[in-house]
Amino acid sequence: MPILKVDIKSKSFLVDRVNLVVLENINFQIEKGEFLCVIGPSGCGKTTLLNIIAGLDLSYEGYVLHQEQLIKGSDAHRLLIFQEMGLFPWLTVKENIEFGLKLKRMDKKEIENISSKYLEMVNLAKFKNSFIHELSGGMKQRVALARALAMNPDILLMDEPFSSLDAQARDILHSELQKIWAVTKKTIIFITHNVREAVCLGDRILVLSSAPGARVKATFSVNLPRPRQIESDGVIENVKLIKKVLDSEIEKYYGMQFNK
Amino acid sequence: MACNLINKKITKQLILYFILLALWQILVSLKIWPQYLLPSPAKVCATLAEGFKNHTFLIGIMISFKRLLIGFGISIFCGAALGVFLLKYKIIDEALSGLILGLQTLPSICWFPLAIIWFNLSEWAIIFVIIAGSLFSITMATSTAFKNVPPIYIKAGRNMGARGVTLLRKVIIPAAIPSLLIGLRQSWSFAWRSLMAGELLFNSLGLGYLLYMGRELNDMSMVLAVMLVIAAISITIDRWIFGELEAKIRLKYGL
Repeated sequence: MPILKVDIKSKSFLVDRVNLVVLENINFQIEKGEFLCVIGPSGCGKTTLLNIIAGLDLSYEGYVLHQEQLIKGSDAHRLLIFQEMGLFPWLTVKENIEFGLKLKRMDKKEIENISSKYLEMVNLAKFKNSFIHELSGGMKQRVALARALAMNPDILLMDEPFSSLDAQARDILHSELQKIWAVTKKTIIFITHNVREAVCLGDRILVLSSAPGARVKATFSVNLPRPRQIESDGVIENVKLIKKVLDSEIEKYYGMQFNK
Repeated sequence: MACNLINKKITKQLILYFILLALWQILVSLKIWPQYLLPSPAKVCATLAEGFKNHTFLIGIMISFKRLLIGFGISIFCGAALGVFLLKYKIIDEALSGLILGLQTLPSICWFPLAIIWFNLSEWAIIFVIIAGSLFSITMATSTAFKNVPPIYIKAGRNMGARGVTLLRKVIIPAAIPSLLIGLRQSWSFAWRSLMAGELLFNSLGLGYLLYMGRELNDMSMVLAVMLVIAAISITIDRWIFGELEAKIRLKYGL
């Protein structure tokens, strides 16, 4: 049984009093423990899709089922990790990780155990009492990862989490995320515009077509051994295949922009 | 090293103040103006010492602070409530924002005729002027501070299960604190100025009244001494209380 079933008939926004259809007939399923990457041209509605799955956006036609249950709002079973991170600057690293646990009114001892476990996992135990602005970009994103994992969600929703990081930090996080995924066996939906990143991380890759009316243009399975490195031959071969499909969509997107 | 730098800075400031005092003394010695118009620094110092010795200044400070505490307290409470109310009801906000801006920019002394008609020459007239002078500034600061909370924090908080009052207490208020503090500092200065203006107007005791008394008695050294006391209090509160607090918060938030 798939853990998540997505069937969005259409999702539109009112822009300057004009109804703009962003997503149309988005249809896919995810198995438990799967690492799914979603790529598409910019502005195709990738973030909107993630907001809908998170339950932060409910105004669409169609349905999204999480373990056969219709998603009716945002809850900690599906946690978002953002590019801008959204860590709270008034809390320390440890307090950030414990934020959601305290809301759940868990036992103090248990909270302590969980936060130290995930601080270890992301290699930040030494920085537990630092404030967020004292960390580098890569470290911040690791805090965000630990904060999400601590809530023990069914699905992690990652919205271009590494795109504001420098190449080095990104490489490290690619390998750390693969390790963490292998240990925790979480289901992950990972949005990116970087095809190489998608191939490096994903079991399966959805390519969305360009907006308006983005659909699932193609699906690719990546059967490379793990852990993968972004510059390995296997990854690059797959990237070439996917790029062909994606490039035609990107051309369409920019062609449309110029013809306006 | 750091200690040396601070010492240097203090020495520089001391020299500068000494030069200013010397210039003042020279001006007095030249006898361009009579003593009762421009008293010597020594005379002002003596008045200052005498004022503290016979408790006139302390009593004045205490009376003024009592008014400030009541007036500014009411301002904070009602101003913040109005600010939150405007956030909640956008239609009212749109309709009233011009009026509130207008009332906020109105010099507090303009409220005095109204205050006297409503409250006569009483304690409440002065307190009313403090409230009128600072409440709308608090309102605007509150509503801007909450409006400017980055949506990403709210999104993250909601996603982790914070709702309603919890979201407000654990996410929105902490996120707004740096700008709330800036608003509070500014509103305090409005309240303080309104208080001084209000106290000047009648036999009200308090620091402003001491200024007024100095004028009535043609005692220029008294006027200058009280002005020094008022300036010292302004600096203390603005720099050492609000300034320090703001620096601490900015450091913590990484601003």
